[in-house]
Amino acid sequence: MKRNTVVLGVVLLILATFAWAGWANWEYRKKASERLLASVAHGQLVPGQAANGAEEVPVFNSPLKGKPAPGFTLEDLSGNKVSLASYKGKAVLINFWATWCGPCKIETPWLVELRNQYASQGFEILGVSTDDLDYDNPKTLAKDKAEIAQSAQRLGIDYPVLIDGATLDKPYGGPDGLDAMPTSFFVDRNGKVVAAELGLTSKADIEGNIKKALNE
Amino acid sequence: MVGLNKATRVAAALALGIGGSFVHGQIPAGDAASRQVLKTAAVEYLYPEQVTVAAGKASDVTLHFRVAEGLHINSHTPKDEFLIPTTFSIPDGTGVRLEQATYPAGEEFTLPVDPQTRLSVYTREFTVQARIVASPGNHLVEGKLHYQACNKSECLPPKTIPVAIDVIGK
Repeated sequence: MKRNTVVLGVVLLILATFAWAGWANWEYRKKASERLLASVAHGQLVPGQAANGAEEVPVFNSPLKGKPAPGFTLEDLSGNKVSLASYKGKAVLINFWATWCGPCKIETPWLVELRNQYASQGFEILGVSTDDLDYDNPKTLAKDKAEIAQSAQRLGIDYPVLIDGATLDKPYGGPDGLDAMPTSFFVDRNGKVVAAELGLTSKADIEGNIKKALNE
Repeated sequence: MVGLNKATRVAAALALGIGGSFVHGQIPAGDAASRQVLKTAAVEYLYPEQVTVAAGKASDVTLHFRVAEGLHINSHTPKDEFLIPTTFSIPDGTGVRLEQATYPAGEEFTLPVDPQTRLSVYTREFTVQARIVASPGNHLVEGKLHYQACNKSECLPPKTIPVAIDVIGK
């Protein structure tokens, strides 16, 4: 009986310790989660399911979803001004990419194919380069632009490539800006963002979101 | 458990079970950790914080860095001209001159979705051997490591982190 009492006492002590550890852990995780949420207030990755159901993949929840796409006017590689407003009535995929982005190189051929497939239904892609541009040095600026053009050509991009995407960092990325490439926003014919993707997904995912933008 | 009554055994088992679940809960999820570092530094300078070298003579210093879990950075010799190489530099006027930096060979890396493309990257811990020449005295040097990091599906913009070393030239 005495031994049972001792063991029960030890068990209660262990339980109390675990309860305290659990509470402390919960508090820590809550604070960590709040910090993380605060740091990515512009967009959040939540667990999702891969197409084959085998692996959990993150899904990008942008606060822009359901809202009008922020308007912009940027230069293309030929120096022409291109504004998002001029595409009203079309479904538009705004694809933020960079010459140094490996996953973008995998995704871009899919985009080229999908653009050709859906262009006749009123679909267009705007490839917004986020590469740094040195406006203080005309020679470096020309080199920067030439590199973007060369990269776009090598990737076979036949849709408009816009430069100086850094100016859209906050409108599309929130207070912390667009923190990773590729990032895509799918805009419907009324100028509303209907879907967003962060990182390399799959051609099927992109196509699904293009159909959403086309309201198919 | 010999000699203990049934209720005591159940309580002990419960205690162990609950304890186990708390311990499991404290293991951070890999994705969340990887995601969090996207917002902070992908690479961390580890050591040395201080070195003593012969003044006026070339000395080799091995700098240790760590790449955050789940990420990789391009090696000094990436296999594509558009990829940004990892480079170390020391600004002029610090009393310490970088004569040469020697980088490790990158490890081969392929993305699951594109196994044909082989990248040359650093992951986990890597070192850069810096051959420096210090003038006599104490110099608080802020070297710079420039890199560009990615995980399996997304890439972060290029970044430069400070590499603070107290160099004593004797």
